[in-house]
Amino acid sequence: MKSSRPGLFPKASASPTADPADVEHATGGREAEAELLEITNELATARERLDLTLEAAGAASSWNWDISANRLFADTRFAAMVGLDPLDLKAGVPTRYFFSAIHPDDVPRIRLAVAGILAGAEIFSKDYRLVKRDGSIRWVRAEGRGEADDDEEPVRFVGTLVDITDQRLAQERLRIAQEAGGIGTFEHAAGFATVNVSDQLCRLFGLHPTKVLPIKTLNDLIHDGDPLIIDLARPDGPQSIADREFRITRADDGKVRWLAQRGEYVEVAQGSQRYIGVLYDVTETKASQEQLRTANLALAERARGSMRERNRMWQNSRDLVLVLSGSGEIKDANPVWREILGASPSLALGRSIVDFTWPEDKASMLEAMEVASKGGRSDFELRLKHADGAPRWISWRTSQEDGAIYGFGRDVTLEREQAETLKDTEAQLRQSQKMEAVGQLTGGIAHDFNNLLTGIIGALSILRRRISAGRLDDLDRFIDAATTSAHRAASLTHRLLAFSRRQSLDRQAVDVNKLVNSMEDLLTRTLGEKISLSVLVHPETCCAFTDANQLENAILNLAINARDAMPKGGKMTIEAENVILTKADISRNEEIQPGPYAVIAVSDTGTGMTSETIAKAFDPFFTTKPIGQGTGLGLSMIYGFAQQSGGHARITSQLGMGTTVTLFLPDGSGADKVSIGSAPSQHGSLMGEGEVVLVVEDDSAVRLLIVDVLKELGYRTIEAEDGEHALPIIESAQRIDAVVSDVGLPGINGRQLAEVALARRPGLRVLFLTGYAATASSRADFLGPGMDMMTKPFSMDDLARKVREMLAKD
Amino acid sequence: MSEIDIELDELERDALTELVNIGVSRAAASLRKMVHKQVLLSVPSVEVITRKSAAALIGQRESENLIAVQQEFDGPFSGRALLIFPESNGLTLVRAIVGDDMSEEELLEMEAEALAETGNVILNGCLGSMANMLKKSLKMSIPDVRRGNSASLFHVGTEDTNEGFVLFLYINFSVRDHDIRGYIAMIMDLPSLEVLKTLVAAFIERVTQEAP
Repeated sequence: MKSSRPGLFPKASASPTADPADVEHATGGREAEAELLEITNELATARERLDLTLEAAGAASSWNWDISANRLFADTRFAAMVGLDPLDLKAGVPTRYFFSAIHPDDVPRIRLAVAGILAGAEIFSKDYRLVKRDGSIRWVRAEGRGEADDDEEPVRFVGTLVDITDQRLAQERLRIAQEAGGIGTFEHAAGFATVNVSDQLCRLFGLHPTKVLPIKTLNDLIHDGDPLIIDLARPDGPQSIADREFRITRADDGKVRWLAQRGEYVEVAQGSQRYIGVLYDVTETKASQEQLRTANLALAERARGSMRERNRMWQNSRDLVLVLSGSGEIKDANPVWREILGASPSLALGRSIVDFTWPEDKASMLEAMEVASKGGRSDFELRLKHADGAPRWISWRTSQEDGAIYGFGRDVTLEREQAETLKDTEAQLRQSQKMEAVGQLTGGIAHDFNNLLTGIIGALSILRRRISAGRLDDLDRFIDAATTSAHRAASLTHRLLAFSRRQSLDRQAVDVNKLVNSMEDLLTRTLGEKISLSVLVHPETCCAFTDANQLENAILNLAINARDAMPKGGKMTIEAENVILTKADISRNEEIQPGPYAVIAVSDTGTGMTSETIAKAFDPFFTTKPIGQGTGLGLSMIYGFAQQSGGHARITSQLGMGTTVTLFLPDGSGADKVSIGSAPSQHGSLMGEGEVVLVVEDDSAVRLLIVDVLKELGYRTIEAEDGEHALPIIESAQRIDAVVSDVGLPGINGRQLAEVALARRPGLRVLFLTGYAATASSRADFLGPGMDMMTKPFSMDDLARKVREMLAKD
Repeated sequence: MSEIDIELDELERDALTELVNIGVSRAAASLRKMVHKQVLLSVPSVEVITRKSAAALIGQRESENLIAVQQEFDGPFSGRALLIFPESNGLTLVRAIVGDDMSEEELLEMEAEALAETGNVILNGCLGSMANMLKKSLKMSIPDVRRGNSASLFHVGTEDTNEGFVLFLYINFSVRDHDIRGYIAMIMDLPSLEVLKTLVAAFIERVTQEAP
């Protein structure tokens, strides 16, 4: 072929049978011509068949680049691919035709590669584009070799050209798909420690793109314990083709990613299989899955939590929890039902709550259900009936929702019992305290009385002895001693009566200013030198309607308390003025009516009291003084006196600042005034003029004394020991000018007797004598016209004066 | 100096690949003559990377220890050339070249020597023809066999790795039906690399303009 003719492109057949020399000496020219035609046709057919075959087989076309001759030879197929005349190529063309159809952009690198071959390189393997005459582009793969002669000089460049357009297209599609989807592919043949990989796969692992990687390189990037791509523990066996996911640490940036692997075995040749798989990044999917899962878990947990919580409350509540219909039918009851009511809650279901209600509370329960079903939230205490028949106090609260009533009931039976017990115990305690105090008091009084009685009895004995012995001189001393003791005893009983609020008050209009002023000397002496007294009386202070002696007594008592509250000295103030109390001035627990009052306030600058002390200050026997120093009766007595006067006593105090006790006494402006500080009026003759006096007294000693005195005074007397004996005398025609009667008599009392007597004998004078009289505590209410009263003990002189006064009032 | 200056464009990469191909083909021819066996060498691609990347790259791909033949080169561009194999591949290459007649002991004994010789042929052929094509000449030192991991071969951490660039080539050997893969690494400093690039540009100019 080295002698081919360049530039000549004969269309004639290359077949030797076509040589014209052979035709000339043929006997039958026609015959030969026909034969030639036949052969030519056959040849054309064969060529056509070859083309078709080649085309069908995708067979390679080949070229032969004669380096030394600088000519290019190629087969028909090559000619077809590059668009040159096959005959020309068969004959040989200049080598530049090799590049004639190559896409301009690919020419430089193909020239480079060819230059390499011409310079001695051996391997030529290039993909490039050919531009067809119609403008279409085909991708081809050129695989060639440089061949050298014995002197290592390149002489020939041979190779084949294969159309790879479809393959290339498929590859491009695959590459685009891989890159777009981030999908890496790999191929592994059993027994190999390496795996063929795509660039994308390398990128997934953060590796430098390459075609082949050791499996170990990939497996080493997979986290311990996660599945491997290819298990090298069994390199020759079939690999698991199960879908899997694993974590990797990327080689380049060290990031942890999740990859998913899918793959299968594909038969590439008879008995030869390849494991072909793909890998793709599922980190984001994983992350969102994980987020979703966590969120779901959290949600479920929360739901479970609230369910558990609800359940826990239902199960463990110490309170009854009931679900009731609007009519009170029990739909559900929590387990504590059994604990509180002694029966299974299941037995209660379907029955009415009223069935379990304590009989006396059934009506209230029905009412409560009525309120609750209307949405009213109600709190009430009603009893349920325990299975053993005992009542259980339940404190209820209900709510209503969607037609159902939710009842929450707390068992307060025990609390109630305890409160009851506490109340009893407190009462008992108070009683025993009272008894103790009464014991202490009566002991003290007995002691005082005994002392006084000893003085009286002793003096009387001495008098008797002296009189018997005729020693009448110096008797007065003993008479005075006895009298003093007796007066002290009288004063003691008076105080007791005041404490018991059973004293008889002689209420009159008392000039408060005058009274207070008259006491100043006494108080100054009582308070001592360390305490200064200041009296601030409003000049227009009205009269108080009260008992002057008791008021004096009260002020003295308050002054003594004030003194005791100021052991280190201080200032005591007594004020007097008028006030008009309105409702707003009176606190709820104060027993006083609105209106005008005379007010006397005694203040000190002493230790003061706590609010607890104030609350109890008026209680009988309450004292802050050491035992023996006070009876605890002072303030109680004052309070009793004020109340009995129709007034009030009030304490205001602050710890460390001092105390003020204020007495409110009714305005006595309209009443008769009593003279204060004036000496008793001197009487004229106390002697009777033979008037008849009926003396009714159950105490014979007292009766004896009275009768004796009256006789001495010149009265005639009739004695009766009680009402029973007195009535016949009163109803008789016997002259009676006056009746002197004890109030507290056995049988009919003195007051009743007086009524009978006055009915019988209008104008009769009646003088009551009383130690204490429940009904006679207020003299004015007790006494009718023609009546008068004396309080025991009294002196015989007073008695004489009183009787005389009564009889003189005609 | 920015990165772009050392990056190769596609044509430069093709040109360098071709230059190396010419070189390894020469080397293969030499080997054929030495061992009278079919030897094919091919270089699918080349790239320029830093020494650190080169070390990481081989480290990623090769799980076993490496063996390398090293030669210094000096000329318009100078540096160190390394022919690197996984250790087992190195032994396979030696066996393929010397034949199966030798025992394992003898083989191990002469491994380094045989490798140095083979490496010398390949590197000399490669660099020599490369220089030749670029119309320059290089002086080569005596070969030296080294073992170690990729980091130690590229002196990562022991030298200033930022100063060095590597012209990195994959090389496939086919010797008597044994497929052996390896790497050729030409470690150069920046000035040398720039010279090389200039020379390659001239080569490209020459080849692509030249009418065949």
